[in-house]
Amino acid sequence: MNDLWIISTAILVATSSAILGSFLIMRKMAMIGDAISHAVLPGIVIAYFVTQNRTGFPVLMGAAASGLIVTSFIQFFNRRVRLQMDASIGISYTFLFALGIILISYFGSNVDLDQECVLYGEIAYVPLDQLMIGDTLIGPRQFWILLINLVLVVSAVFIAYRRLVLTSFDEGFATSAGISVVFWQYYLMGGVSLTTVVSFESVGAILVIAFLVGPAATAYLLTDQFKRMIFLAIGTGISASILGYYLAVVTNASIAGAIATVIGIQFMLAFAVYRNKHKWRDSKHAPYDSPVKVEPE
Amino acid sequence: MITEVKDPSIETHNLTVVYNKKPAIWNIDFTLPKGQIIGIMGPNGSGKSTLLKSIMGIVDPNIGYVRIFDETLDEVRDRVSYVPQRQSVDWDFPASVYDVVAMGRYARKGMFKRLNKADHEVILECLDKVNLLPYQNRQISQLSGGQQQRVFLARALTQEADVYLMDEPLVGVDASTEQSIITLLKQMKSEGKTILVVHHDLHTASDYFDWLVLLNTRLVASGPFSEVFAEDILKDTYGGQLTTLSKIASLLKEKSFPMRHK
Repeated sequence: MNDLWIISTAILVATSSAILGSFLIMRKMAMIGDAISHAVLPGIVIAYFVTQNRTGFPVLMGAAASGLIVTSFIQFFNRRVRLQMDASIGISYTFLFALGIILISYFGSNVDLDQECVLYGEIAYVPLDQLMIGDTLIGPRQFWILLINLVLVVSAVFIAYRRLVLTSFDEGFATSAGISVVFWQYYLMGGVSLTTVVSFESVGAILVIAFLVGPAATAYLLTDQFKRMIFLAIGTGISASILGYYLAVVTNASIAGAIATVIGIQFMLAFAVYRNKHKWRDSKHAPYDSPVKVEPE
Repeated sequence: MITEVKDPSIETHNLTVVYNKKPAIWNIDFTLPKGQIIGIMGPNGSGKSTLLKSIMGIVDPNIGYVRIFDETLDEVRDRVSYVPQRQSVDWDFPASVYDVVAMGRYARKGMFKRLNKADHEVILECLDKVNLLPYQNRQISQLSGGQQQRVFLARALTQEADVYLMDEPLVGVDASTEQSIITLLKQMKSEGKTILVVHHDLHTASDYFDWLVLLNTRLVASGPFSEVFAEDILKDTYGGQLTTLSKIASLLKEKSFPMRHK
């Protein structure tokens, strides 16, 4: 039974992340998950210091607030200061993460919290923290939180699918049609923040990043159709969760580590398939300024 | 030399956009006629794209405002369509030609409205206008530059607007595509559309445009093509750029001694 809870928890994170990650990759913002998952640290530390409770709602709120702050920092540096996206992400989250580290070492003596647990999480402990209704255990708390998150992410993306695709593909054209690019950017970032925040406690920041980037990148190599890419990414994430869990059991290794490893291997396999398919070309597609072979018009 | 028109399609007042303390466009004040093909020309970095973007609300002007058909952009957005620079998007995006052209249609729709049969017919019709109908299921990553440009044009056509703003639609396309695009623009003009085209090539300008706007951060000239396309005004616009100046000289020479086939 415990196996099942651990695997399904991982699958829930994988599915939400795969959906959001597909958009992030097309927006060249894959590392935003990295940023948010690190930048939540100061919020967690402050919330924990105030409430002395590591798993409660205030910690979630603190994390969400930090996630929002880092997102607006990135937006500000990128759009107002006109710094490149990657540099904006890099400067924002390292600053906030460092702030978190300083806070931990400052309160270090009276806080039972370390950056290890934020970075690596511990998915194996998920089944220990069960929710109860009346006298019956209804499953791990994390499982239910992540299930709610998945429902939110799926419905948010379903409702706004075409707006998100349009603003991902062509910001200028979207703006010209009266669609607010900044609003949809925040909308997507809200989903990423929420997913990262509710996931890192169980699976750790590193595995969230792996789930956000890996399956979507693998799917990108395997298809030329965005909808199909999302479903392939979900499938890739789910299979990585299952294979990774049993890999961990067999090798007696960390579950999160094994899942992330499987994600990496899946990508390499997809790359091999893709090289095979496109072996006459150097890159995925010929660049548009070089002659492209097409049938005569 | 700035010619004002009555009942303009687009007018700007003191339009100024400043990036990092450096003006991209400065105090642009003009009125443009309706139903003409209008060229916007000027040296590199003269603010041609910025002018288009600030008319479209993509860049917020620091000072000044724009009126389209004597109304604000928000009031007439359905009548204005924008064709961005081809290089402004990632053509490796996993989408087909049809998908991209359909964006023009659903950008105008409410979030919950699906495309209906009439929409699909418009999309196919617009694909046909740019000769891309046989390519509708092709991945956009597999298109040539000229085909990509035509995808953008078809997407704009689906919006059935009255004013089209096109950012360098003729850059990096081959000669035959350039001709077919120009034919399309002239056909649109005959249907009463107003078309603004950011353009680079002085050689072809006289064949394409009815009205010319010359820009070098400031507005140098705006008026009927034959009046604006003169040596002193062009020198004013391109001032200092020797290669361009000599090009202008030879162009004007050609103009005064037309070759026999013209």
